[in-house]
Amino acid sequence: MIRTYLRLIPADRRGRVVAYTVLTVVSVLLRAAGAVLLVPLVGALFGATPGDAFGWLGALTGVTVAGWAVDAVTARIGFDLGFAVLDTVQRDLAARLTRVRLTWFTSDNTATARQAVAATGPDLVGLVVNLLTPLFGAVLAPAAIAVALLFVSPVLGLAALAGVPLLLGALWAAGRVARTADEAAARANNALTERIVEFARTQQALRAARRVAATRSSAGAALAVQHSATLRLVLMQIPGQLLFSVVSQVALIGLAGTTALLAVDGTLPAAEAVALIVVIARYLEPITTLGELAPALGSIRATVENIRAVLDAPVVGSGTTPRAAATAPRIELDGVSFAHGEDDPVLENLTLRLEPGTTTAIVGPSGAGKSTVLALIAGLHQPVRGRVLVDGVDAATLDAGARQALTSVVFQHPYLFDGTVRDNVLAGHPSAGEHEYATALRLARVDEITARLPEGDRTVTGEAGTALSGGERQRVSIARALLKPAPVLLIDEATSALDTENETAVVQAIADDPVARTRVIVAHRLTSIAHADRVLFLDGGRVVEDGTPARLRDAGGRFAEFWRQQQEAATWHVTA
Amino acid sequence: MARGFQGAVLRGFGARDHDATVVETLRLAPNLVRVRLHSATLFSEIVVEPTAWLRFWFPDPGGTDTEFQRAYTISEHDAPTRRFAIDVVLHEPAGPASQWAVEVQSGATVSVTSLGSDRFALPEELPAGYLLVGDSASTPAINAILDVVPADLPVELYLELHEEADRQLPLTPHPRLRVHWVPRGDGRELAAAIETRDWSDWHAWAAPESTTLKHVRARLRDEFGFPKTEVHARAYWIQGRSMGKLRDDTNDPAGKPAAVPKPVKPKEKAAGAWRSQAAGRLLAPLRRTLVAAGVGQALVTLLQLAPFVLLVELARLLVAGAQPARLWTVGGWALGLLGAGAVLGSALLLWLHVVDARFERDLRVRLLDKLARVPLGWFTGRGSGSVTKLVRDDTLSLHYLVTHAVPDAVGAVVAPVAVLVYLFAVDWRLALVLFVPVLVHLVTMAVMVVRSGQKIGQAHRWAERMSGEAAAYLEGQPVIRVFGGAAASTFRRDLDEYVGFLAAWQRPFTGMKTVMDLVTRPMTFLWLIAAAGTPLVVSGAMPALDLLPFLLLGTTFGARLLGIGYGMGGIRDGVQAARHLSVALGERELAVRESPPEDSPPGRVEFAGVTFGYRPNTPVVRDIDLTLEPGTVTALVGPSGSGKSTLAALLARFHDVDAGTIRVGGHDVASLTADELYALVGFVFQDAQVVHGTVRDNIALAVPDATLPEVMAAAQAAQLHQRILRMPAGYDTVLDGGTGLSGGERQRLTIARAILADAPVLILDEATAFADPESEYQVQRALSTLARDRTVLVVAHRLTTITGADRIVVLDDGRIAETGTHEQLLAANGRYHRLWESRAAAPTEGALR
Repeated sequence: MIRTYLRLIPADRRGRVVAYTVLTVVSVLLRAAGAVLLVPLVGALFGATPGDAFGWLGALTGVTVAGWAVDAVTARIGFDLGFAVLDTVQRDLAARLTRVRLTWFTSDNTATARQAVAATGPDLVGLVVNLLTPLFGAVLAPAAIAVALLFVSPVLGLAALAGVPLLLGALWAAGRVARTADEAAARANNALTERIVEFARTQQALRAARRVAATRSSAGAALAVQHSATLRLVLMQIPGQLLFSVVSQVALIGLAGTTALLAVDGTLPAAEAVALIVVIARYLEPITTLGELAPALGSIRATVENIRAVLDAPVVGSGTTPRAAATAPRIELDGVSFAHGEDDPVLENLTLRLEPGTTTAIVGPSGAGKSTVLALIAGLHQPVRGRVLVDGVDAATLDAGARQALTSVVFQHPYLFDGTVRDNVLAGHPSAGEHEYATALRLARVDEITARLPEGDRTVTGEAGTALSGGERQRVSIARALLKPAPVLLIDEATSALDTENETAVVQAIADDPVARTRVIVAHRLTSIAHADRVLFLDGGRVVEDGTPARLRDAGGRFAEFWRQQQEAATWHVTA
Repeated sequence: MARGFQGAVLRGFGARDHDATVVETLRLAPNLVRVRLHSATLFSEIVVEPTAWLRFWFPDPGGTDTEFQRAYTISEHDAPTRRFAIDVVLHEPAGPASQWAVEVQSGATVSVTSLGSDRFALPEELPAGYLLVGDSASTPAINAILDVVPADLPVELYLELHEEADRQLPLTPHPRLRVHWVPRGDGRELAAAIETRDWSDWHAWAAPESTTLKHVRARLRDEFGFPKTEVHARAYWIQGRSMGKLRDDTNDPAGKPAAVPKPVKPKEKAAGAWRSQAAGRLLAPLRRTLVAAGVGQALVTLLQLAPFVLLVELARLLVAGAQPARLWTVGGWALGLLGAGAVLGSALLLWLHVVDARFERDLRVRLLDKLARVPLGWFTGRGSGSVTKLVRDDTLSLHYLVTHAVPDAVGAVVAPVAVLVYLFAVDWRLALVLFVPVLVHLVTMAVMVVRSGQKIGQAHRWAERMSGEAAAYLEGQPVIRVFGGAAASTFRRDLDEYVGFLAAWQRPFTGMKTVMDLVTRPMTFLWLIAAAGTPLVVSGAMPALDLLPFLLLGTTFGARLLGIGYGMGGIRDGVQAARHLSVALGERELAVRESPPEDSPPGRVEFAGVTFGYRPNTPVVRDIDLTLEPGTVTALVGPSGSGKSTLAALLARFHDVDAGTIRVGGHDVASLTADELYALVGFVFQDAQVVHGTVRDNIALAVPDATLPEVMAAAQAAQLHQRILRMPAGYDTVLDGGTGLSGGERQRLTIARAILADAPVLILDEATAFADPESEYQVQRALSTLARDRTVLVVAHRLTTITGADRIVVLDDGRIAETGTHEQLLAANGRYHRLWESRAAAPTEGALR
């Protein structure tokens, strides 16, 4: 955890870490000195000449004031480090996330990344001051006191030294036992919760099927199982909750007992023994404090873990080859394989060549790998094996700028960021002229939408996007893609067909696009396919049919069947 | 300038003065002046929220250089131009504010401080209505509230009438506002005028004169049963203060309750029930257990402190040179108490877990029962996330409340109190000294809280907002990568702003935080005890032995005492969770009403005078009369929001109608149990629900004893048979939440289920057919089979699919606008004709180039 935190500290503050460490050690030594000064102080108060205590009180005052001074400086450095981390960490993470491989973004990792990028700053500001300082203190102070005790009473000092690892071990073990028990309880609870959530989620189906009562008893059975499991789990939890408290009390009793014995057999004067009892209490105190910090430590550990997960996520590399020409390129997939996980192959040894300036429609059943082909060409995914070639150059060797400039994409789900329609469209090409901008709006028929809106293209799309319907958002995303002067245009057609007007808009926009581009469209609609120069029918990650739409339609194969079904579907209507 | 004690206190809390210049004054009513002001610096410090107020320093009308502080609600504000306004009520004899407002000229300046202030915010869970109480002085705040209260919530406004001119005060219009003016006498009239009724789940906001407030408060609490959390009360002025009316909230009893009047004997109990009290109802059966657990935990805590007391005893014996045998006795006691503590602690923990496990099981059983009985609309209305939160997170918080939070809180309170009592008993002088660091800590903390002001709330909202934006940023990664920096800039900019906000807020506090930390360190206490104790001991004012308890227990006293607040956090979360659960358990269930069946063919559906709305008085469907004959297809058509989906959902009894009846085969749907109803009515909606179990179980959900051939026949009819055969275990493949099936396949699974269930009436959402274009064709064929020979009601989204319907019903704004066949309606040249024309020419055929 500490190592990860150190990675987050900006380079120019690293020197301060050393200063912080040195001062923390000094602070601990001052505290130990203060504790040990109690021996002569208390000894004097209980002895024959209590007046001597004033001298020792003076010394204690000196040590205490010095301790305040050192701690104040340490805290200042600690906060300074914390704010330095706050200033940079979330921004750095946000920047880094744009280079992390998209395959890394599973739902768990996405949740982790969201936490890391949105909510870690406030926790990290106080990390040094609120947690690291007491943590160091808890580990170092008892050891320092024990060492100092060696000079007063070797036996007691040795016992105290031996106690340090024992107590810290007990603390660690207690935490571990508690964690194991909590995890077991959480697992059992999750399993049951899932049943109940499903019961709620499928109420429509269950009620329509008149199965609410029956399933209730089966969920009830799950409840009974959980109930008996809970009781077993409790027995696991108790040791974790009590272990540390018992061990520290035993240590207290043991050390105090030893002191008493030493006093009884005359090794220690009574007054000094009393003073030592007080020192023993001081010795135990930091470790107890640490025990109380445990929950906070746990949550900050989770925060830091989230950050580390993002820092350690695999990133996309880039080459150094520049690419100047904005002409429509030839795109080739050369023996490309791609898989999401270990054994979840999507594409297997796929080879295909898309000629410059052509429009290719990719058709096929869901799960055939159509969108993956687009993502590979767009550079959003990287092939596991094989290469993506652009005019014969391996796309992986292109420099980051050239790679990004190469493609423009219309995504299946239009993602618009929080801003005006204009901002969103211009994101495609921030330096576009007013004429190009107007052309893109017209082609994607966004001008019809903005004409209707009171604030025109200054209308904020917003997160909820209430100003625009789904189809309208799609059209804005088409305008954005058309405005970007990329020589390759990739379109992942929306599967939802609730808005036929929108469907026509896509087809028209792409047909009228004046820029010379190599185009690939993952198509579901006959109109879009009909406009293509070539159709690739993909199934199971392989091209099963390849040819012009007209030829394939007449060939009587998979595409012909698909064509027929689509035509029938378009004319279907409900009858009793 | 003399500002007296108030000024000094405010300065101590870090209040900053802003200069405001008067722009103009405006008579809004005979006794009301609006003063418009401009301040260059004020808006950098505040974010104006409803009912926010400012402290003004007005000159003394008597001409001395004393300045009087008065608080006024901001009635207008515009941050970009840095202008704002306050409304000042004029009265006789005039006070400093009143006089200032009458005499002030444009260009005059006045000092303003933003410290303190209020914020009226609508809660996430809206109350049943708002009860507002005030007078001329609080109308600006009341107007701000009326501005934000949703139009469908009722508002009862009680205003105290001081002079007839008050009636001319401008009030923000609100559709469900009822205003009651009550002339003032001795301050009891307003409270007495509040209508005696059931105020359950209402929220009260009261800001009248102090005496009036006292009576209003008492009546709300004692007679109507308003819980404290549902009453916001603040006296805006006090009758009888020197300069006539004096609006001065530093003198008001805000925070501390107004002196309690002698309890009014409730004549008739009109006490209502509030959702905010729901937690108490849910936890009532546990109350005794929790009290017992608290007592047990108190004992355990004391046992944990016992060793320190024994150490003192040990030291006493050592100093006295006692016999070793005595020492052994002390050692024995120490071990005995340690053992007792451990055993008692374990037993307590075990017992609480057992109690909790039983309570939780009962709770979940009740929850399951409730889930099976609430209207189906309850689920569609809230989404799976909030149901999951209820079932998982809230029950977990409740578990924490019962098993840990109560013992933790008791421990956190008992330990410092016990130490305190012990130390005071030993030596009260030294014990008092220990409070010095605690006081320093608390004062520093208070200064920080006051200086933070609105920022605490803002930080919360920032955190929520950033979490949402981060989710969007992650979701938009593909777009950001393709289109580059511009697409990501909003998020980055907001992130910078957020970080800037946090830094600007927290950085100035580092010094104070360090002080707070240093003063409560054990080392500081140690030094303090030594420094105060040594002279006492040396002078003989205190035996040396009495110093020991302080050295042993006093050093951590500060940390313990300050830990009390921390220990309460878990309780708050748990109570909140209990409230959610209790509210859910109190949801209205679908009732089965007695209603004699009429003679009718089994598949006929009749809507008679059906009216329904999701909120009171805002019907979504109105007065629908419609009969669906067996064996016909009826299509519901209309723009979104026309009520077509709602009407279909009513037939499936997702909700109960507000008026009218729906009959299926002559039976009022409300008179049928769920099982009886769904034997008659089946539905296929967009949300294809797959339950945990095998494919066969899923298809045979409604007919568990169906034979395999029957199941297969249904699957075949639903175009799913071949796909099932390709699954790893065929019909015995276990489907977990439907993973591994495409959208279209899930649709066909639910269609197969409906085919086997064979209900005579079928409700279809036509969008179903288009959820997955890959298998759209197959879904359509499956639907065609399913629809055969039934009474079908289709919610149509695409007009082409319903041109063959026997009857098309065009809905508009919840009413039937037209009915007829496609041809009839086209010929009628009405609304349907326009809908048909306005749809873009659907590309029914792909023309090849």
